[in-house]
Parts: sequence; structure tokens; C-alpha cells
Amino acid sequence: MKEFLIFLPLTILYLALKSALFPNIPAPDIPLIIIFYMALLRASVEGVLLAFIIGYVEDTLNGWIIGSTSFSLVFIFLAVHLLAKRVHFSTPTMKGGGAALFTLFKGLTLYIIIRLVNYDVPFPGSIIFQAILTGVFAPPVMLLLSRISAWASPGAFKGSEN
Amino acid sequence: MRNIERGIISFLKKHQIALASIILALFSLQLALTDKREGVRGGILVKNILTAAVSPLQRLVIGMRGAVAGMWNDYIFLIGVEKENKSLKNTVLSLQAENNRLKESVRLNESLGKILKYSEDTRFNTVTAGIIGFNIDGWARTITLNRGLSEGVRKDMGVLSPSGVVGRIFDVRDHTSIAILDTDPRSDIDVMSERSRVKGVAEGNGNGAIVLKYIRQTDDVRVGDRILTSGLSIFPKGLIVGDVIKIEQGKDSLFRYVEVRPKVNIQSVEQVLIITDRDFSRN
Repeated sequence: MKEFLIFLPLTILYLALKSALFPNIPAPDIPLIIIFYMALLRASVEGVLLAFIIGYVEDTLNGWIIGSTSFSLVFIFLAVHLLAKRVHFSTPTMKGGGAALFTLFKGLTLYIIIRLVNYDVPFPGSIIFQAILTGVFAPPVMLLLSRISAWASPGAFKGSEN
Repeated sequence: MRNIERGIISFLKKHQIALASIILALFSLQLALTDKREGVRGGILVKNILTAAVSPLQRLVIGMRGAVAGMWNDYIFLIGVEKENKSLKNTVLSLQAENNRLKESVRLNESLGKILKYSEDTRFNTVTAGIIGFNIDGWARTITLNRGLSEGVRKDMGVLSPSGVVGRIFDVRDHTSIAILDTDPRSDIDVMSERSRVKGVAEGNGNGAIVLKYIRQTDDVRVGDRILTSGLSIFPKGLIVGDVIKIEQGKDSLFRYVEVRPKVNIQSVEQVLIITDRDFSRN
């Protein structure tokens, strides 16, 4: 629950600053990294709810199709949660690779939804670049998130990453 | 009986994450698929709370961005010049920051003056609005404006700049609104060629360009043609949308693929006009 209360305002702050400060600069998908982190290390129903709300916030602030990013992030949460039982995302390379893969997956699900609602758009190549960026940034961001979690509830998550 | 209940409870507990995910994913999908053109449904309170939390920050950041960028450049420039003289450097820095602030004010005044003059020259009623956020992630092409319901802004009002058409109001909150740009896939503006008067619909391709729909193979449209609003929708007749840059055969034998470069470079725009008139039949 504490992660929920910390990560949600952090995401809102990030999205607000991004749209005002660097809308044109390709940036890593921080909301996706947060969901990836939650599904991997703090899988719970609150995590699913966080994925839904972060997606809704992203759609609302970006003025995009409401529900599209929520669907994508909730789906990714479930996929990462199930995949983590078979694949060990323990090394930075695996975390980065996983985050990059799921950024592409998010782009693909959004693209499918757009096509389903009848908008004739091409698949933008910038998503591949964003996936690489997200993959590069994912390990340090996830480390930071775990520090924030540990700081927010000292003792409660001690050693829980193992 | 109790065994069945226990079994159900144990199943729900064991698969609670998967079940919650499936329910929320289906709910999200339903929201997305039933909300084709509008993008807004319910959740007004949530949106207003979000906007109230975010828009002051966006206003502050947008306001400070120019001044901070100037100061940063000057600071970098000064490091090699006045390294020893800290007090002098600080004085110069503060003066330059002040200068930047004043320059920013002059520039803002010029920009506002330009848009006010344009507003006076137009034959329709408008409201001036400042851009406080750009959202150009993925396919979305939207801007957040600092005018909302309280200032008379309503959904589907046209947005323009002195250079041409910007887009239309898509979502309105109390003091802010979101406009979709003409390059967003959800945008559809009735347009015509200035030269041949051939009519079509301009839609964004989500990639920074506009595509003209319903231009037949036999229609007289050429590269370089200026595309204007036709006056059949939320915009008055004759506003510039862009110029034709590419014409291809098209996927079917009926229509051609016509690509238009938008006239307005949204990155260089700070203020826009929102058209509050709804009836352009007199124009």
C-alpha cells in the first residue's frame, strides 16, 4: 500500500514535468518501469490497481483514448507476474531486457487498440528507440524504486528482493 | 458444502492477482473500445482533481523554462571567462537572469500583441489561451491550455494561431482544457484546396503529418497546393491548414493518398485562440 501511495504521485509528477519540460525529447517509459518493478517484486492486488490508475492518469493527462494505457499496463502487470515464475529477472541485463521488451509490448497493444477503434495510423519507429531507452534506464530506476520502498517502510521489506 | 466454499475461497486467494488483472483489463478495454471519438466519459471529478494538482506545476515550469534556459546558457558561457571573480560573476549572473526575465517579458508581450491583433482582425469571437503542456507521446498529439469552462471554453471549439489551424478542444475542465492537434489521428477537419476548391477531410496520421481523406483519383490536387478550411465544420472558411507535400496512388482504386505538412509549428507557439463562435454561415 505504501508503494501505491508513493509511486502514484511520483508518476503524476513525472508526467506533468515531462509534458511541460521536455515533450520532444525521447524519454524512458517511467510508468512502465514502475509497473514492471511492482509486478516483479511487489506483486499484489494493489499493484494491479496501481497499473490501472497509472494508465488512467496517463490517458487523462495526455488526452489519449481513456482505457487504452490502463489496459496495456494491467496486461503487462499480469504478464510480468506470470513470466517471473519461469524467468529470473535478477540481473540488470534481464531487468533492462524485460523492460525494453514490455515497452515494445505496450506499444503493440496500444497500436492494436487504435486499429480496433478504426484509426488508420502507422506503427511509429520511435517506440523502438523508447524501448531501448527504457531498457537502459530500467535497472537504475528499479534500484531507486527499491530504495524508496525501503526508505518508506524500513524493516518491512528488508531482504524481500531476494 | 463447506468444502466447496473453502475451495472457492482458496481458488480466489490463489489467483487473486490474475483475477483482478483480468477484470481490470477487460474494464479498460471496454472503456477504450466504446469511447471511439470522445475519449471522455465520467470521471470528471477525478480529472478535475488531477488537473488541479498538475496544471499549477505545468504553468510554473512553462513560465520558468525560458528564463532558466537562458540563465543556464549564460552560466556555461561565463565559467571560462570570469572564473576567479566570484562576486562579479554572481552580479553578472543575477543581472543576466534579470535581463533574461525582461527579455522573456518583452518576447511574451510581442507574442501576445501579435495574437491580440490577429484576434481583432478575425470576424469571429475568440478567447486567448496559453499552452501549459505538450503531449506528443506515441500517436497522441495534444496540448493543454490554461483556459477552461470558467472562461467559456466548450468541447469541439476550434483552436488556431495566426499561422493557421491548430486543432480542436477535446476535453474541458474548470480552468484548463485539452486540445487535439490537427496531426492527431482523432482530428478531422473539413478542408479544400485553395487552387482547385476540391474538398476533403484532413486527419492526423499520428506521426506529425496530416492526411487528406476522400480525394478521388480524378480530383485536381497537386503537390504544393495550399489546404484551407472549407467552413463546413467548427472552423470558418479560409483558415490555412497546410500545404500538400506528397501524393500517392492510394490503397484502393477510388482514393489517392495525399499528405499535408501542417502550417503551424506547434513547438514555436505559446498562445493560441479558441474560437467561441459556433455559426459561421455569415462568413
